[in-house]
Amino acid sequence: MSGSDERTDGGTQPERSVEATTPAPIARSGNSFFGDAWTNFKRWNLKAVRNPFVLVVSLVQPIIFLVLFTQVFGGVATQAIGGGSGGSISYETYLVPAIAIQVALAAAATSGVGLVNDIESGMFEKVLATPMNRTAVFLGKTAAEVARIAVQIGIILGLGTLLGAEIATGLVGALGIMAVGVLFSLWFVSLSNALAVVTKDQESTIIGANLLQFPLLFVSSAFLPLDSLPDWIQLVATYNPVTYGVDAARAIMLDRDVMTVIEVSRFGGIWDTLVPALAVLLALDLLLGGLAVYLLGRASSSSVR
Amino acid sequence: MGETANQPTDRDDAAIDADDLRVTYADGTEAVRSVSLTIPRGEFFGFLGPNGAGKTTTIKVLATLLDATGGGVRVNGFDAAESPRAIRESIGYMAQETSVDEELTARENLKFACEAYGVPRGERAERIDELLDLVDLAEVADKRSEDFSGGMKKRLDVATALVHQPPLVFLDEPTTGLDPKARNKLWEYFRAINDRGTTIFLTTQYLEEADQLCDRLAVIADGEIVATGEPAELKRRVGGEILDIELAGDGEGDAADAEAAAAVVREADLLEADATIEPTEDGLQITSQRARSRGTDVLVALRDAGVAVTGFNVRAPTLDDVFLAITGEATGEGADAAAATAPDDPVAGEVSDE
Repeated sequence: MSGSDERTDGGTQPERSVEATTPAPIARSGNSFFGDAWTNFKRWNLKAVRNPFVLVVSLVQPIIFLVLFTQVFGGVATQAIGGGSGGSISYETYLVPAIAIQVALAAAATSGVGLVNDIESGMFEKVLATPMNRTAVFLGKTAAEVARIAVQIGIILGLGTLLGAEIATGLVGALGIMAVGVLFSLWFVSLSNALAVVTKDQESTIIGANLLQFPLLFVSSAFLPLDSLPDWIQLVATYNPVTYGVDAARAIMLDRDVMTVIEVSRFGGIWDTLVPALAVLLALDLLLGGLAVYLLGRASSSSVR
Repeated sequence: MGETANQPTDRDDAAIDADDLRVTYADGTEAVRSVSLTIPRGEFFGFLGPNGAGKTTTIKVLATLLDATGGGVRVNGFDAAESPRAIRESIGYMAQETSVDEELTARENLKFACEAYGVPRGERAERIDELLDLVDLAEVADKRSEDFSGGMKKRLDVATALVHQPPLVFLDEPTTGLDPKARNKLWEYFRAINDRGTTIFLTTQYLEEADQLCDRLAVIADGEIVATGEPAELKRRVGGEILDIELAGDGEGDAADAEAAAAVVREADLLEADATIEPTEDGLQITSQRARSRGTDVLVALRDAGVAVTGFNVRAPTLDDVFLAITGEATGEGADAAAATAPDDPVAGEVSDE
């Protein structure tokens, strides 16, 4: 099968002469790649606003975590982190970056659900039948989800500040944490979409992505310093992407090097955490993003049904 | 509608030209064995066949959603393997399953389609209003489509396939699952679109639908075209009109009684030599050029032989009969649909002219 993606030339021609009758292409009003992406970006934003359920669900659980953890474990945990990594910070301040990453994780998990819905409702095929650039179609959808994640992290940071958390790096730091959350979310968005294309089933996609969420969160540096946790958790956490997302966000939150899984000291200050963490996340994004793009491309060039 | 933009151009190339199209799936299933079609611009073409015959596979290849594994396909003059995007720009496609974004309003669905097909910004609002009028959704334009009935969603789906005024529209079983009223309404729109010069490629398993709408038909069975022609022409192949005779039956030995009755009719020698006389569940079905002129004589012959006739009906053949005659098997669902919407006598001349 020779794929039916954006090829406008160079295809092989079976048994017929083309030169003879190929008419001039019908001109469209100049939809560009970014025009197509924008069209899809708008559609998915509209859908998110129309269906606030998705928005709320991916916020509610992290907010519950934020409130309950700080209220229930606050006293004990503040001592634990004080003993663990030195300095005097509140558990609120310690926890907020982890909740920001949790939001990114929960919201990213819904990305594949949107895709499955589109496949089930026929919109996926309908879009494939239009002349829109297919890469732009997926880019627009992802951009809408990522924008939503940034907004949701903003809400968490605001709420956290109300509860007494402090962002040492201020407003710029807050934007930085949103950026980290977005970078972190992309690998999970990719994973969720890959699950969606492979299973083509809403339940499997939701369950698959949700089952991963809690183990990933707990077996990481999210809720307590790693050195206060059992050895096996420390080991697993080293290979857990959540650790890198949380450490990067937390480094910005506290304005200091917090990473313990990889010791780097050549960049100085928070960059000793940010550089390795962001490098790991970027690599992961590229890896899983590539997988998702491959699977989506395959699904759209043959038939999904 | 005084539209001229969609009239067939002076180019004499066809809207669709498929040459020995073949599709074999990865698991070895030969969904389409060999389909060759030439459909002139402006035609209302019907692609008829039972479930699994290869209709949807063919339409997906023509709409560039699926690659053929063999043969050549040109749509609106573009080669499907070479310039699928040019084809996508020049066609409207309506899938078998209703495909609308239910979270969006009717107007938003149309706006998205306008942007997707690159309708110039300045023309969009007017175009959308025009289409909402065409499919009678103007009053619910700003309501979310999740609240629409099945028929309304289908109509919205049709409208989204028309935003860019494509010269060719694919409709894949557009009325499957709709009630007769909604179906009739859709037919009106399809006719209106076709009257404006748009070529329509319609697949259906409802013989009645093909009969009512199409200029020309192809019948597909097991991935191959088994017949092509105007509906009236295909019906002539059945070999005359049909006389259905219902015999009194008590559930025991009915088949033998029917055979005996058939023998009586043959003995009487009232019909031409190639007339067919077949026992059915309820009695006899006679297909003959003389079904109408000699029908009463047949009934008299049966009465004289002591066969109790409880009902009879002379009718023009439907496409269901055509299908049966060509493939030797009934369409099942198509038969139900024909029965539901067309109890009697579709007059051949009415559907084939125009």
